[in-house]
Amino acid sequence: MRLALLLMVVLGVSGCVTSAPSSEPARQMSVMADADRALDESLALLMQRGYVITMADGGLGRIDASLARSPGYRVEVRVTESTPSGASIALQAFRGGRLLPAAVVEPLFVELQRRLAEAP
Amino acid sequence: MRMPKSIPSIRRSRASSAFVSLSVIGVTLAMAGCQATPTDLPQAQPAVSTSCEWSPAPGSVAMTDVVEALESRDFLVRDTDTALGVVSAERVERATYHNADAVRPQLGGFVLGGSGGRVGGGVGVGVGFGGGGWGGWGTIDDATRVERVSVALDAERIRVTRDIRLFDWRGDLRESRTASDSDFCVALRNDLLAAGPESTEEIR
Repeated sequence: MRLALLLMVVLGVSGCVTSAPSSEPARQMSVMADADRALDESLALLMQRGYVITMADGGLGRIDASLARSPGYRVEVRVTESTPSGASIALQAFRGGRLLPAAVVEPLFVELQRRLAEAP
Repeated sequence: MRMPKSIPSIRRSRASSAFVSLSVIGVTLAMAGCQATPTDLPQAQPAVSTSCEWSPAPGSVAMTDVVEALESRDFLVRDTDTALGVVSAERVERATYHNADAVRPQLGGFVLGGSGGRVGGGVGVGVGFGGGGWGGWGTIDDATRVERVSVALDAERIRVTRDIRLFDWRGDLRESRTASDSDFCVALRNDLLAAGPESTEEIR
């Protein structure tokens, strides 16, 4: 009985251990738009969702945004000019300072792709 | 002779099955409470007010106007980028954290005796008043309120987002909320209208 109770507690607590994708590379996407437009659309998308821009640099192709919902979310956008026809966007999301799995940013990519497909 | 033998075994199995189902419920609840990894990134709650995005008259607002408007509201500009037209600013002020360790009874218990002897142990329960802090009676509810604002300005649109975080005296984050509300955005918009070359009507 006592062993079962201990097992229960251990199992319950182990449910809290989220798999920490500590060194997962950022999800990347190539777009048919130049880096400036990709940055502009990323900026607009994040701000419309209520993210506060903490750091932005068009020259470096970086945007850091954060959302003050507990325990605190952060999104990092990195845009590089990969080919003459288009740029590459990398997104990484953090929750409470810990890296979130790459699948979490997938909806952002979908929305970005949709916006970039529209005429500028 | 068979009947009395079977009754305890039925009892035991019933009890163990009840325990198993209870533990299944317990584990399920415990794991459900820990479901931490979201599948989508959250958005601001409440959503960004519609008055936090507008189209200024062409050429009426420059980045310097945004910086000045924020600075006149005691914001400290943290970061600007002219390429993207982004201004990030922050306002820090002392505040009182009202939910801090208020004077409330704190229940504590300690065991006086062991269970070694035949007599057994005794348990004493002490009730004391006091908050965390230096003195027994005083509470430290000083806090720091940090308000962050970012303004993005391009040829057609101005977008504003804002949040407010409250840190207690230990530096722990106590409250955190998005605050892209219409009060702030309309006020900032009126500042920018007043600063612009063609200040026409005021928005309410």
